[in-house]
Amino acid sequence: MSTTTTPTAELSPRLSTPGALFTRLSVPVAIVALLVIGVIVSPSFLTVANLTNVVNANAAVGLIALGMTFVAVCGGLADLSVPANVAMGALVALGAQPVAGPLGAALLGLAVATAGGLINGLLVGYMRINPIIATLGTGSVLLGLSQLLVGGGIVYGESSDLASWVKSSALGIPVFVWIFVVVALILTPLLSRTPFGRWHLAVGGNYEASEASAVPVRFTKASAFVLTGFLAGLCGVLLALSNGQARPIIGSGYEFVAITAVVIGGTSLFGGSGSILRTVGGVIITALIGNLIILSGLPSQSAGLITGAIVLVAVGFDVYFRRKAGRE
Amino acid sequence: MNRITPRTAGRAIVQYRLLVLLILVAIFGSITIGDFFTIDTFQSILNRATIVGFLALALTPVLIAGHIDLSVGSILSMAGITTIAMQPVIGNVPAAIAGLCVGVLIGAINATIVVVFKISSLVATLATLLIFASLALLLTNSQPLSSTDPVFGIPLTGDLLGIFTPRSMMFVAATAILFVWLRFTPSGRNLYAVGSNAPAAKSAGIRSNAYVVATFLISGLFAGAAGVLQSLSTATGSPVAGAVMLIPAITAVVIGGTRLEGGRGSALATLGGVLALGALTMALEFNGVPAYTQAIYTGVLLIILITLDRLSSRDGRPASRTLRRVRVEPTTPREIPGRNA
Repeated sequence: MSTTTTPTAELSPRLSTPGALFTRLSVPVAIVALLVIGVIVSPSFLTVANLTNVVNANAAVGLIALGMTFVAVCGGLADLSVPANVAMGALVALGAQPVAGPLGAALLGLAVATAGGLINGLLVGYMRINPIIATLGTGSVLLGLSQLLVGGGIVYGESSDLASWVKSSALGIPVFVWIFVVVALILTPLLSRTPFGRWHLAVGGNYEASEASAVPVRFTKASAFVLTGFLAGLCGVLLALSNGQARPIIGSGYEFVAITAVVIGGTSLFGGSGSILRTVGGVIITALIGNLIILSGLPSQSAGLITGAIVLVAVGFDVYFRRKAGRE
Repeated sequence: MNRITPRTAGRAIVQYRLLVLLILVAIFGSITIGDFFTIDTFQSILNRATIVGFLALALTPVLIAGHIDLSVGSILSMAGITTIAMQPVIGNVPAAIAGLCVGVLIGAINATIVVVFKISSLVATLATLLIFASLALLLTNSQPLSSTDPVFGIPLTGDLLGIFTPRSMMFVAATAILFVWLRFTPSGRNLYAVGSNAPAAKSAGIRSNAYVVATFLISGLFAGAAGVLQSLSTATGSPVAGAVMLIPAITAVVIGGTRLEGGRGSALATLGGVLALGALTMALEFNGVPAYTQAIYTGVLLIILITLDRLSSRDGRPASRTLRRVRVEPTTPREIPGRNA
């Protein structure tokens, strides 16, 4: 099986194209540039407290970006139902505590969000429905259901060993960040070294050729959405446990932050190339930009404006380099 | 061959989904509500469906041309706050025109990104959705604006000829104009060719790009009209007014039979879809189903319809018998958004 897919996987980095060069250099350069700007803008930027805060606040949404990378790589564009799955995970993780206990409720929250991802996967992978429309639809339904579940109010959690563990630190680094690092370390080789990951690259690169090469194209596409649903649920469960409360709007806007991180890292939204490491770089960049907006006193509403503009510019570059490389 | 199998039955339901849905809603309404079949109810349904209707109308030409505009909700918000903010400065009618201009301007931005920078309309308008939703919040500091002349917009929802209101009349008129353009003029028919097979249309001498630009401008204009009418009739410019309207608008268009893959659709079918969704909403609200569950049932309806559409159209037959007869057969496999190289 892997012998048929290897050529596609080896082609995808496109080391010789200007696009690849641009992608390789741009992420580290951007991070350094943002750090320099940060030092100039605010004296409190380069402090341990601030940077810990930045990393901590973005590790949760970073998890979603890791899943979204698989969605983008396999040609699934993006999963817009993320806020709904985050909300479902969070609300169930707290709401089911009296019945199932803290650990049981957390697992239940994960299961519900994964089921949401499974519905997306069936619609996009097996029914071949446009992923944006499908996930807009499921997102609308699931978010509506989550509001129905709590009647628009807030769910409070009990204090538990699990909740205090989520809030704790190990070796001076918050558990949140450890979880993000562990998930990234698992997913990096999964995407770049295993047949499963190469299926994603192959399907995103050329759907028909992959199908003809006996790649399970439908399963591959579906699995990316299941993974994203699971990670959105994990994000929701962790946020709910650490906050001790959850509302249906807990994950609103997270889909765009995750898409931005993926695109900024240099993973093409149109499939066929990308890596988890790039997305980690993208998560760091979006985290720093978000922090700089707050520190420089810009209104918080401008975050969406800047995020949207970044997505357009990054995708514009991607399209431009793809056409130059003759892959139009 | 003519035996009724689950597959043929399913296809029939998909083809006549508009009729099926209208009949189901009519039966449901007449059983549960005493005076459902009255002119007053119809007037009310049409009036309340006007805003979503304009958004659905905005989406129709874009979808026929094989693109999509996800930013219509954000255009609605931007046009609405522009109108209310400009009212005290330049007067009522110029403020409404300013709102329309903002809509067309955002449509022009979308068109530029799609045509000049060649970014897929899904991604481009997803980004402008976010940008203009944020801009609306930024400009208003997340607070709804109150109109300085709240009386001006009241007549918009008043009675007109018994079955219309002035604003629903505008919606019906806009539908009629769009219908005539799409159905009876050469340029309207060319639009279907562009949506069916853009390269073939181009080699046949149709300037595809110009048509795509036009559809985004129309989309901006109609979404702007939705924003202007909504803000004037409610005397409020809300920065989040359009946030929840994208799904109902897409659902209304899909109920009508316009396909998301381009090349097929009709303004009259969209009107039917808007009415069916409006009647369903009204019937459910009369039965005490809370308004916020609208997100759930419209989403479910949308998912079911696009799934059925996909299931029944695998063999290439038209999925919906809309009112269009001109069909340009694709000669090459068409690009499907999301899988293009």
